[in-house]
Amino acid sequence: MNNIVFGIGITALIGALAAVAGAAEDTESNIGSQGDPNSQVQLAPQMGYIHRIFNKAIAGEPPAYGLWIVLGAGLAWSFMAMQLNAVLAIVLGSVLAVFVQGVYATTAYVGRTASLKKFGQPIYVDILKSMTTVTMAHAFIAIFCTVTLCYLMNAALGHPFPLPLLGFVWGIALGAAGSATGNPYYGKERQYQNQKFGAGVPIAQSGNIVRYAEAGERNSLDNGFFTAKLGGPASGVCFGLIVFLELWRTILFENISAGWGAIIIGVLMILVFTIIDRYIEVWGRKTYGPYAKPEEAKS
Amino acid sequence: MTVKVEVVEGGVPHTKIMVAGIVASLVCLYLSYLNVLTNTEMFSFFGGLAVVSALIWGSHTIKVLCSYGIGTGVPSAGMISFGSGVIAMLLATKFGIVAPIAALIIGVVVGVILGYLSNEVLNMKIPAMIQSLTELAVVGAFTLMGFAVLMTGGFTFTSLTTGSITILGVALPSFQVTFIGGSLIATAFLLGALAVQHPFNACLGPGWTQDRMLMCAAECGFLSMFVAAIMSFALVPAGSAIISTIIGLIGWAYTYCKYMGLSKRDAASWLDAKPIPEVEGH
Amino acid sequence: MTAVAAKPAAGSALNPTAMVVGVVLLLIIIGACWQLAPGLAFMALIGIIVGGVLVGFGVHFVPVGGAPAAMGQAPGIATGVAMLAAGGGLAGLFGGAWAASQEGLVVSVVTGGVGGGLMMAITCMMVNFIYVYGMGIPAASGKIKVDPITGDTQTEYKSQGTEGHGLPFVSFVGGVIGGILGGAGGTIIYIMLLNLYKATLPTMMKATEAQILPIAISAAGIFAIGIFLVNAVLTAYNITGTIEGFHDPKFKRWPRAVVASAAASALCGFVAILIVTM
Repeated sequence: MNNIVFGIGITALIGALAAVAGAAEDTESNIGSQGDPNSQVQLAPQMGYIHRIFNKAIAGEPPAYGLWIVLGAGLAWSFMAMQLNAVLAIVLGSVLAVFVQGVYATTAYVGRTASLKKFGQPIYVDILKSMTTVTMAHAFIAIFCTVTLCYLMNAALGHPFPLPLLGFVWGIALGAAGSATGNPYYGKERQYQNQKFGAGVPIAQSGNIVRYAEAGERNSLDNGFFTAKLGGPASGVCFGLIVFLELWRTILFENISAGWGAIIIGVLMILVFTIIDRYIEVWGRKTYGPYAKPEEAKS
Repeated sequence: MTVKVEVVEGGVPHTKIMVAGIVASLVCLYLSYLNVLTNTEMFSFFGGLAVVSALIWGSHTIKVLCSYGIGTGVPSAGMISFGSGVIAMLLATKFGIVAPIAALIIGVVVGVILGYLSNEVLNMKIPAMIQSLTELAVVGAFTLMGFAVLMTGGFTFTSLTTGSITILGVALPSFQVTFIGGSLIATAFLLGALAVQHPFNACLGPGWTQDRMLMCAAECGFLSMFVAAIMSFALVPAGSAIISTIIGLIGWAYTYCKYMGLSKRDAASWLDAKPIPEVEGH
Repeated sequence: MTAVAAKPAAGSALNPTAMVVGVVLLLIIIGACWQLAPGLAFMALIGIIVGGVLVGFGVHFVPVGGAPAAMGQAPGIATGVAMLAAGGGLAGLFGGAWAASQEGLVVSVVTGGVGGGLMMAITCMMVNFIYVYGMGIPAASGKIKVDPITGDTQTEYKSQGTEGHGLPFVSFVGGVIGGILGGAGGTIIYIMLLNLYKATLPTMMKATEAQILPIAISAAGIFAIGIFLVNAVLTAYNITGTIEGFHDPKFKRWPRAVVASAAASALCGFVAILIVTM
């Protein structure tokens, strides 16, 4: 019984860390225009829209976050192998991983922008200086939280994988959850504020991203400021739910009928999320209605 | 009917880069054998240099492959490179002294088959597919072997799985604090997989230039070497880890400055706190 | 995710000769393994092939919209095929590997599958959440007129100038199935290699089973990830970019991917087995 209570406590802590990590991850990637919305930032100068948006194209979010987390975890593991205190080791590992992230961010921005010479897109040094540091700060939160939760899984809950392997698994999952949830909100809602609300961006409008802010010219900090209000927290909820429910069903129900308990609970939770999803879908269809009259003849 | 986006125009031809990459990686991997001959681990840093040369070659291979639109992101090429490379590399470590050459051969075999599967069975019909996936598998295997040498001092299966337990008097079980036992191989996997795809991913566009991309590859290689060298403090004596760290840091700083200079050369303009230029007119 | 815009020429046609070569290659590798190492290693190879095929087949179900999905221009999840599948599959592998340290094969594999399915269910639900409550856009498919599961019409919910957006219910179900197959496949590969290494490494390295356990877990884990990624990327090459789920016309390309995945997993598995049998 004590074991289960301890496990539930750790699970709750891990879930909270995961939620923070997801929110920081999404905000970081939006400030850097990483992931899929990057294609529009890259496209804009080619369509004649020179901009001051940070364009750090380091792979997609899943592989990039896979690297930051696995690097933080690997370094933390090494420091612990050198008999360093676990907390200190995780912090040091995260700091070094953030250093690598920052270097990758600068080389990506400078490289992509230099290749756009034909279209006259300049490299802005002030963007390099101010945005990189802000993404590094957010990345540090994401990396530190995720490496810590991996450490807790291994040390407190007894998962057999060593720390770097757990970092690999959860780093890629973090990137996948964050990019899936957060990308549309930044890509459609923020980059294309000049388009109609409540509809997708017409393909013909690709590249026509918003480049001016309330005052002056928009930079990526304005984007982070905007997406931190919904896209970021939603990504946090997404990753937090994934990690928390995965652990929760294992800790509480694994001992019921030799592992089948956790499976049944897992299936039930999938069904619950299916129902929620269906509710959201129907609510959207009812509330917003069709864009055009249904075509009777075709169907 | 494949649309080729850009041809490799000018610069060093790909074959030359490939041959140089293979030779340099093999020589560096074998130079690390001085560790065994001199009975120290001072020469582990040659593993890091093998990583750098393999990555430079690999980034150019990715450029050749991804110039044909392969329909999915550039990063996936890095993933398949290391997914096949890790398997080839671990089998190769079983061959003792001939391990680097074995990695080359096994990498070629695995890569040719994977290339055939994607080009013919999956019907991708991309001329460079088979050769590129073959090269990438070897790049993956060499890079991982280089990281293994850098972090453990050797490229045999025993040195990867059996740890020295003498660091600061740590009394941990010797199999756990090792390259494979501690899963540092997972870190090496992603360090390499991102470093090999990043140069092309970061430099692609109409203004792509070869020297800038290769400089970026060297920069990524030295950066990876630097952090891997820090991890190696856990597995090799502090002296040799310090040598690797310093070489990695110096190499990184030099290539980073060079890369920034080349980007400044290639960029339309290099502005500090200036508004969007008025170019809409033309 | 990349600015290289040209569409590859790969069509949906089958290449019969290559398919036969692929199958023959598969049989040769299986035969070679039977010759070299019958028994446990051979069973492991079969398990790895099954796992690899499950991964390759499962990736086809995952609704991926790539870059256009981030702009609400195409339905699906806004990220790359291979990496989204990896996210789901590895989350499943996490659960499966945990269960494998206590339970048997069947329970672990099912646990892994449910873990992957749960990850995809939450992710897909949050995608629709953002689309509907954050952006005011209802879900609509671009490839079909009527959702085959719910019977909802799709065409008139598609906003002007786009190919659809969000995740219609059929894509949600596809995502969950993809996660289940990916998680189960990754877990099978892991458990097969783990059991093989646990049995063979002690004699090879002259140590007890408890001592080599970290080596066995790490090697099996990294190989499972490696084989998973190879299969996921090969399947991504097959899909070429985006797919909506099992109702998408591109889904019909799965036989090619199954042959390719089987042969590729057999090859990688064989090499991974040679490490301990040679």
